[in-house]
Amino acid sequence: MTRGYRLAAFALCLAAPVPALSHAALVTAETATAIRLQAGYDTGDPMAHAQVRIYAPDDPARPWGQGVTDREGGFEFIPDPLPGRWSVQVRQAGHGAMAYVEVGAAGPVSLSTATRPDRVQQAVMVALVAWGALGTALFALRKRGRGDASS
Amino acid sequence: MIRQILVATGLALTPFAAMSGSLTLYASAEDLATEGFTAPRLTRDGWALEFTRITARFDQITAWQTDPPFMADGPRISGTPLPLDGPFTVDLVAADADHRVALVTVEAPPGHYNALSWAMVADEAIPALVLEGVARKDGTEVAFSLQTSEAIAHACGEYLGDTRKGFVTEGAGADLEITLHLDHLFGRADRAPDDPMNLAAPGFEPFAGGGVQAFSLDGLHLGHVGEGHCHDTRL
Repeated sequence: MTRGYRLAAFALCLAAPVPALSHAALVTAETATAIRLQAGYDTGDPMAHAQVRIYAPDDPARPWGQGVTDREGGFEFIPDPLPGRWSVQVRQAGHGAMAYVEVGAAGPVSLSTATRPDRVQQAVMVALVAWGALGTALFALRKRGRGDASS
Repeated sequence: MIRQILVATGLALTPFAAMSGSLTLYASAEDLATEGFTAPRLTRDGWALEFTRITARFDQITAWQTDPPFMADGPRISGTPLPLDGPFTVDLVAADADHRVALVTVEAPPGHYNALSWAMVADEAIPALVLEGVARKDGTEVAFSLQTSEAIAHACGEYLGDTRKGFVTEGAGADLEITLHLDHLFGRADRAPDDPMNLAAPGFEPFAGGGVQAFSLDGLHLGHVGEGHCHDTRL
């Protein structure tokens, strides 16, 4: 068998249906459009491992999803294809801020972010830093079913 | 004062069955008021505090629907106002299981009330804020009454906490909360000494002489909406 035939046979094997086994691992990958936020204090310190709650435009009173920022204060999520105002709450040890992201046909616009700095409270800044095809980017999001979201 | 407290409580219990919606305003100084500063959550300078009374007088209260959302970045809120009026004088130690005291319930058009303006002010008979109780440290026990008559106006954004608040719907009520952060006055021993809050908080040591003493609210930023921030202005 020539090298070309061997490669073709190998490719056919890969493409052939695989019997469904109980321990089979199925992995799918796709590109998706995500929102990336950055949360930090005015001291320059990131809000590492801060609690994040996301509220969708069609049900702003109940969390659509929640998660935790990474150690750099970053957080990414893939919103439903639902235009309107997405609200993101980031909290940590008594500090917190809301960020509002207006998602439309042309992409998101960040309406806000921050609390002001003062002598007592560190300012908390939550900024929309990216919108686009982040592919299989890591995102710490545990999406809740509509029925069991606490409010 | 007691009569005013009862009036505030009575208003909170008024039914609004025929209304499109209602909005109830609470005030809270959180569990630090009802449970005190106890180990390990002592004051930043190591005092345990037990409060017998924390009287606050709130006035000029308005809930707002704002779009875009008000971000507590200035003294003026633009939006649709809902007057909640005042004044209301309440004891924040005599709070419910959620450490809150109801101030008032009003009829409210449906919508999201995502901003709140209010002032803490004195009148001729009542200081703006009084904290009374007993402080203990190393076998020393000090009875204290700390009072301020400084007037501070607050312009606050959205309530921030475990639950998102302020959504009034047809036939249903919602609530908002004025929150005083007492750790901004006394600091907290369970936080790092260089935490910005501890660096700014006077602690209890300046008041360790006991008795009736005046204190200043300047720069303390006690007023919040849950964990949400307010822009405050000395009146």
